[in-house]
Amino acid sequence: MDLGFIITNAVVLACIYGTLAIGLSITWSSVGLINLAYGFIFALSGYGAWLGAQHISTNGVVVVACGVLTGALGGLLVCALAFIPIHDKPNFTVRGLIATLAISLIGGQALLAIFGPRAKNLPEIFGSWKISLAGVVLTADKVGNVVVSIAVVTAVLMWMRSSRRGLEIRAMMMNPHAAAIVGIGVRRTGFYVMAITGGLAGLAAVLLSQTYYISPFGGLAPMIKGVSIALCGGLGSVRGAVIAAVLLGLNEALTARLMGGQYVLITQFLLIILILLMRPRGIAGILDRAREA
Amino acid sequence: MVDVEQRLRPGTATADVPDTPASTWRNPLHPWGAEGAEEEIPSNPHRDPREVWVRTRESKAPLLPVGRLRYYHKWPGHGGRLWQRMRYWPTRRRVLHIRGEYNPKTLRREKTIVDKRPIWWVLGLVALLLAPAVMPADFQNTLMTAGATFGIYAAINLCWMLIIGTAGIYSLASYAVVGAAAFGTAWLSIHMGLPWWTLPLVGSAIGLVFGLIIAIPAIRLDGFYYALLTIGLNELCRVYTLQSKQFGSSTGGLYGADTYIPQSWSQESQSLLAYYACFALMVAALILYRFVDGRRLGRILKMAPEKREAFAEATGVNFRRARIWVFIISSIGLGFIGGFYTAHYRGVSFSIFSFDTVLLGLAMLVIGGIGRAEGAVVGTAIVIFLDKVLIATGPIRLILIGLIMLGVVLFLKGGLFGIKAQFGAWRDKKKSERRSRRAEKGGEMLPEEATETKDKDLIYWRRYDKMQRDYLKSLISPEIIEEHRKSPLGQHSEPLERLLLYFRRAPLADKYAITVVKPFQAYRIVALSGQRGVAPRIVEDKVYPTQDEAYHGVFLRRVQDLLET
Repeated sequence: MDLGFIITNAVVLACIYGTLAIGLSITWSSVGLINLAYGFIFALSGYGAWLGAQHISTNGVVVVACGVLTGALGGLLVCALAFIPIHDKPNFTVRGLIATLAISLIGGQALLAIFGPRAKNLPEIFGSWKISLAGVVLTADKVGNVVVSIAVVTAVLMWMRSSRRGLEIRAMMMNPHAAAIVGIGVRRTGFYVMAITGGLAGLAAVLLSQTYYISPFGGLAPMIKGVSIALCGGLGSVRGAVIAAVLLGLNEALTARLMGGQYVLITQFLLIILILLMRPRGIAGILDRAREA
Repeated sequence: MVDVEQRLRPGTATADVPDTPASTWRNPLHPWGAEGAEEEIPSNPHRDPREVWVRTRESKAPLLPVGRLRYYHKWPGHGGRLWQRMRYWPTRRRVLHIRGEYNPKTLRREKTIVDKRPIWWVLGLVALLLAPAVMPADFQNTLMTAGATFGIYAAINLCWMLIIGTAGIYSLASYAVVGAAAFGTAWLSIHMGLPWWTLPLVGSAIGLVFGLIIAIPAIRLDGFYYALLTIGLNELCRVYTLQSKQFGSSTGGLYGADTYIPQSWSQESQSLLAYYACFALMVAALILYRFVDGRRLGRILKMAPEKREAFAEATGVNFRRARIWVFIISSIGLGFIGGFYTAHYRGVSFSIFSFDTVLLGLAMLVIGGIGRAEGAVVGTAIVIFLDKVLIATGPIRLILIGLIMLGVVLFLKGGLFGIKAQFGAWRDKKKSERRSRRAEKGGEMLPEEATETKDKDLIYWRRYDKMQRDYLKSLISPEIIEEHRKSPLGQHSEPLERLLLYFRRAPLADKYAITVVKPFQAYRIVALSGQRGVAPRIVEDKVYPTQDEAYHGVFLRRVQDLLET
């Protein structure tokens, strides 16, 4: 019972954090941008989904679609503001980082000005049923989260593996200069990548809306978790992000159960620092082959 | 007589005198009865070979009254006083970098202040010192509070600038160190009753411990991996203090610490004391910045900028150690500021750990320009002004700060204080673009080709050769070709002789020659290979019946080649 509870919690957390971390990881490795406006996209798409639920329909599919589309739009916005103007300028990595931070500052305050500080609540998109599996009670929320996030991430990964656009993105991930030489447009691919990763952030926002309510700065904590998981797994590696998500999800569930909720971040960062001290480029990252901006 | 007059005044030449003396050539061999020598042959008028030279060498650049001139005020003479330089302890630096030189025109001695930054610093600091006296009375309170905040934040940002700019460690946990020291000292002051003057010292100790802990990952991680990790550390501190009861999770912070501001003083005196105390803190941070960045550690780290670490390491510079040292020294400084923060505000709130504080701090650094003390101070002044003085505008002011930050990042390479250098670089780029557009192609080497060539002689030879060919091209006329047809060998007019000399001097590879197919009956034009043992190649199928015609054929081909280049 106890073990089952820990494992289900770990799996749910791992799925959502993995969705976030894979988005960040793909962004960094293909366009070389550390997207710290991810928290803003997260909050923005939460509001998008909330508006959808208010004005269109409270149907789960519609709400998820609204969130994902708003997230993709937010991704495009970040791309147009922080990637397109400076991606070929000197010192792009630092400037891109700061530009995304500036966007997140502006965006957060704009959301605060428009929607006010009160947190918004999304309808329960997966209904409110429960099933009991081998003595473990699974709520609709948990099952839905796991299924939807795994399905979407798998779909994105399959698309990246088999489609023409995915081939372009993977070429950018391997070697951006060579990709540009063989005729893959850096800016166009940047828009694809940012739209997809923004969509992933939107998905995570809708899925997490039962845990983190939608507020102007509510994207911050999930973004920091996503960043730490992407960092821990090795920026740019999807496999590493999945491993790290599982590890940290397990750690979070265990710590919350054994020591208490306020120690989650402490153990998490100790674990990340330990992993990074052993492997400075993350679990699946290799020191020599890491992207050099 | 008529002949001479016409020669003097060529403009009066009339149509009924067909060949002016300038365009006929008298064969000097004619009076001696040389074979085939005609007395007068129509030829080109004389052209001065120096024309091409002068035309090529003259500058075609439009001379605009702007340029890379640096206007310095020239101070009058110095006598021997320039040598008695005042140096201040403990460095060997001079207060002002003054260069003594001779005026090239008047040959008088004069002085130039090369680096005027110390003057600006002194003026700025004096202005800050005198600011409370001239503040408008309506805003006195707001401005004094904002000034005190400015002092504290400028000090924090100077220490942070040491970490980001000098050490090149992208740490975003500086406010976490300040906050940890502030919370630690506030707790100690409340529960242990520490007096205010111990708080900065205890804060320094806490900062040292925190700095050591945070520095451990910095040994292995670099660049953005560390930046992302430190964002997480900041969040960790925020969540921890937010959740723990002993740090006042219920009151929104920890208040009630001892303060250096005597409560018995009047409100005005209190704010004046606070202002000057924060000003002194900023000056202390400036001194720390100058001593770390301008002396040994800073010099070591300037040897090892990003992407040139390997070179620095190979020359024996232990830049990693220097980085960690700078990090730890700055952390002690940040801890000191944290202790002062507690003593100033009588406590500390959670907002010091919030992501927005880090963002605003980063905005301060970025707006001023990373890597310079004046950038940290001026950036702080701008952001604090927008944030604290315009507080009535609500979220708009933060959006405005964000927009400024975004604009600076998108358009400026090194913040506000990098504008000058960026503008200079932009102007140089435009100038070099225009220069390359003006460059005459053909013969001359392109600039990048010229730098690649080992044989620098070739550059000048090509330039000369081009001028010569330009001149020779202007000589070719039907008269000359006709003259050569008549007698390919022997004495020729001056223009033809110049042409033939140029042709004869050509290198052997691909030089035209004639070969005898059948003596006195058939000749053919070939091109020499230029290599011993490699036969000449046949250029054309045409067979010339006489040697002279073959010579003329070669001449025509060479003329054609010359005109084509």
